[in-house]
Amino acid sequence: MREWLKADARRGALALTASALLALGTWTGTAQAAAVAEYSVESAKASQSLLIDAVHAGKRLVVVGDRGHILFSDDQGKTWTQARVPTRQLLTAVFFLDDKRGWAVGHDAQILASSDGGATWSKQFEDLSREAPLLDVRFIDAQHGFAVGAYGALLETTDGGQNWQDVAERLDNPDQLHLNGITQVKDAGLFIVGEQGSMFRSSDDGQTWSHVESPYEGSLFGVTGTGQARTLLAYGLRGNLLRSTDFGDTWQAIPLEAGRGPLEFGLANATLLEDGSLVVVGNGGSVLRSRDDGQTFTVYNRADRIALAGVSGLADGGLLLVGQGGIHLATAEGAEEARP
Amino acid sequence: MTRPENFNMPHHKDKATLLERLIFNNRPVVIALCVLVSIFLFWQATQIRPSTSFEKMIPLQHPFIEQMMEHRNDLANLGNTVRISVEAVNGDIFDKDYMETLRQIHDEVFYIPGVDRAGLKSLWSPSVRWSEVTEEGFSGGEIIPNTYNGSQDSLDTLRDNVLKSGQVGRLVANNFKSSIVDIPLLENFPDPQDPGKLTKLDYQKFSHQLEEKIRDKFQAQNPNVKIHIVGFAKKVGDLIDGLVMVAMFFGVALVITWALLYWFTWCIRSTIAVLITTLVAVVWQLGLMHAVGFGLDPYSMLVPFLIFAIGISHGVQKINGIALQSSDADNALTAARRTFRQLFLPGMIAILADAVGFITLLIIDIGVIRELAIGASIGVAVIVFTNLILLPVAISYVGISQKAIARSKKDAVCEHPFWRLLSNFASPKVAPVSIALALVAFAGGLWYSQNLKIGDLDQGAPELRPDSRYNQDNSFIINNYSTSSDVLVIMVKTPAESCSIHSTMAPIDELMWTMDNTPGVQSTISLVTVSKQVIKGMNEGSLKWETLSRNPDILNNSIARADGLYNADCSLAPVLVFLNDHKAETLERVTAAAKTFADAHNKEGLQFLMAAGNAGIEAATNEVIKSAELTILILVYICVAVMCMITFRSFAATLCIVLPLVLTSVLGNALMAFMGIGVKVATLPVVALGVGIGVDYGIYIYSRLESFLRAGLPLQEAYYETLRSTGKAVLFTGLCLAIGVCTWIFSAIKFQADMGLMLTFMLLWNMFGALWLLPALARFLIKPEKMVGKEGGSIFAH
Repeated sequence: MREWLKADARRGALALTASALLALGTWTGTAQAAAVAEYSVESAKASQSLLIDAVHAGKRLVVVGDRGHILFSDDQGKTWTQARVPTRQLLTAVFFLDDKRGWAVGHDAQILASSDGGATWSKQFEDLSREAPLLDVRFIDAQHGFAVGAYGALLETTDGGQNWQDVAERLDNPDQLHLNGITQVKDAGLFIVGEQGSMFRSSDDGQTWSHVESPYEGSLFGVTGTGQARTLLAYGLRGNLLRSTDFGDTWQAIPLEAGRGPLEFGLANATLLEDGSLVVVGNGGSVLRSRDDGQTFTVYNRADRIALAGVSGLADGGLLLVGQGGIHLATAEGAEEARP
Repeated sequence: MTRPENFNMPHHKDKATLLERLIFNNRPVVIALCVLVSIFLFWQATQIRPSTSFEKMIPLQHPFIEQMMEHRNDLANLGNTVRISVEAVNGDIFDKDYMETLRQIHDEVFYIPGVDRAGLKSLWSPSVRWSEVTEEGFSGGEIIPNTYNGSQDSLDTLRDNVLKSGQVGRLVANNFKSSIVDIPLLENFPDPQDPGKLTKLDYQKFSHQLEEKIRDKFQAQNPNVKIHIVGFAKKVGDLIDGLVMVAMFFGVALVITWALLYWFTWCIRSTIAVLITTLVAVVWQLGLMHAVGFGLDPYSMLVPFLIFAIGISHGVQKINGIALQSSDADNALTAARRTFRQLFLPGMIAILADAVGFITLLIIDIGVIRELAIGASIGVAVIVFTNLILLPVAISYVGISQKAIARSKKDAVCEHPFWRLLSNFASPKVAPVSIALALVAFAGGLWYSQNLKIGDLDQGAPELRPDSRYNQDNSFIINNYSTSSDVLVIMVKTPAESCSIHSTMAPIDELMWTMDNTPGVQSTISLVTVSKQVIKGMNEGSLKWETLSRNPDILNNSIARADGLYNADCSLAPVLVFLNDHKAETLERVTAAAKTFADAHNKEGLQFLMAAGNAGIEAATNEVIKSAELTILILVYICVAVMCMITFRSFAATLCIVLPLVLTSVLGNALMAFMGIGVKVATLPVVALGVGIGVDYGIYIYSRLESFLRAGLPLQEAYYETLRSTGKAVLFTGLCLAIGVCTWIFSAIKFQADMGLMLTFMLLWNMFGALWLLPALARFLIKPEKMVGKEGGSIFAH
């Protein structure tokens, strides 16, 4: 017996039952209550909670995740400090422009900003009525940035986040598919990937967007520039990893061999390391590495098979992995070394 | 407590009381009545069965338990389940034969009466499912599909399904070498023969059925499997089985007591008379227990032993008295009558002191302790009839051997070097040293007993020994599965159909995180856990979605399969908090954290109620024990002190008797701390029993000492005479009581062993304290010169 719950349940297309109506009534009350600023709770176990994204802010490492947890480390991940964050919602992505200015997005369509390298944060945007998360954020410069999210959400700011405008209509996305990732590709422009293999690109800093024909009908969870001109990786469900060297005009599927057959785990995030190699992580403890600009990847599956959601490089060549169980310091291959 | 008859008191001064005439003028009637009552109560006693129930072992009035009981129907099987872990000795569970055996076990369990069939869970249950994410969405199915046929292919599918099911660590061991059959039980279930009638679950029978129909049968059938069984019902079944051994201990105690008794009396006739009347007391007590509707639980098992010991000690006093009287009485009847006249009142007072000790236990709100208190009180009341009335009447017929009479005559006149030596305890030189030593011991004991812990300290089932089968099975499960056996359940109560709304789920989520961050907590599970996983699943397994949704439909759908994590009308959701252990500090810390959270977050329509789960019950029990501990001690000491004041009408006398007991209590606590025994349901009664029974020695010795002092003897000489006439009886009484309970040290049941050890220590040390400290205290507190020739206020001075 198989069940197909996903697509429709998510849209709330199921008939409203009496209980759901009742629930709705009470829910409205909560939305107002939640609007009162609530800071994330500082706790010893924050570094072991679900964490989603890990980036560099200069030399500093910053990770974000569940319950408004944002932690930073100035000693390559050995010790972590929990930042003061005005939310308790799950944060889904973080982006730092330099060692000071950064933005994080998350559920309740929240956008948070920091100007001190991630130590303190303020809330720039929140929209409870969307009942949906923002899923990625990218800034071109200190003033101009975009956030993407569920049900086709696309938000733009031109004043460093003081004001955010909904510019979803710039995309040709009639089904309001989730937009899962946004990146900037060298010498090309902005690229967005999402649900059901959807792809959009813009060569004019996001003023106009065009739909890109996708070679894959499953969801893509993220997109990352390789550092080479017009070259990028898109990745998603069931070990699907795509590479384009022409800003999405043509795509090449990268075969991933994992022991007994092709890798079947979803791929969630990727990063470009300082040495130019690329690392992709995902479910089932998958850690993929390429030293040839993404043409081929070696596949490693961690013994603990935990789901990974984010990755960043460490100075000693090791990896900072985040996901289930929080922060994991790993070898260059991806094997567990230590947990702070 | 006999008066020093042969010494200084006129013998035949006392008139026969009404009671005495009533009894001794109608001896055949007394005997006949006792025989009739004995026959009736023996018939009753044969019907008494070992039994215990979940409810009797827990403090029903504690708010935690009240909440648990109120919602027990909604907490599907969180309280009372048995888990059978079927281990594949060689290889792993993905084996055709293993799966077949597992299926047969599942089916066999299904038909054992008392099993809640709807909740029965194993890999073979249709309700155990797997799920995964594909391009098309979220798919799932039964772990063992309909197409399963035992082939390698279907075993591979099974392996994949298990990995996808999230049951690893729960139904399937982390190393894939065993899996669990999870069996919720119904405490009351429809009779298989007569479905209209409700039958109460018989734990012993159920436990035996598990052994015979599951463990023995399937281990014999498939040598490659090993079966481990844990759960409250199994534990209780094992406990009841352990009781059978206790009957053997009774035999051992009986034989040793007989030998000692003979050594004491040198008279086979009176030895048998004492033994029989005391056994009659035990039979009456057991019969009455059954008549008032009690069974024999592992705690009240102690009562027959105590009654036997107390009965023997009173019997010894009687025989001692009759032997002394016989030397100048014409016949056995006269000797018996005189002894009755002199000993009935002191005997009553000693028994009253015992009963007081028992009755204070009634303030502890735990069924088993109350039954123990009532049973023991019935028992000592019975001794009034059997050993204070029936025994003298019986002796008046059978008499005492000449040899015994001659010996007691000789004892009364000759010099005793041993007693002479001991009398130095009353000397002005030794007494200060004794007091100083006692103070040092008191301070040391007080200091060391700071290490005394509340509650159970060992891992696993503390009722059983660490190396017992049950505890081995338990540690197997702890080592191979991720869920600990110590679970605290917090109940989240909402109006109907509101358990899945965001304003309920978000605070539950917050509670779980608060608990996760409390030291001692391993992990937490609730419908929120399931909801987040399902929402993540609905979003293609992306961790970015692993959180609660504000969309009511999504939230409502997400808990559809969270079986057992919310009740039928969605008004109650349990939060399961798994703990590292059940040490009192852990329980206290965790329940305090939960309470703080509850106080801050309880509001109209959303309440966090404490607590169920075995850890919740233990936390409640610990709280009850902790608050009762001091109360019991204070109460029992007040009662004993008041009894002493009434008896001796002297503050100094009361101090002389009570202070040695205080030292014993303090040293007893230190011993418990040293032995790693916590204050718990089993050891709390020991305090009251030890003091209540222990005061007897002081009363015996002081009453004699007082009479010799009144006769004008100096303190040390008076003490020597006291020892010479009653020392042996005191020593013997101490031994009798200690023997009665010390066989328990060898019990298979850990808490019985603890009780046996503590009671033996307290009874022996109380005897020692009375012999050693009482005269030293008397040296400082009592002015012999003021007592000379005075009739005094003591009720023994008629």
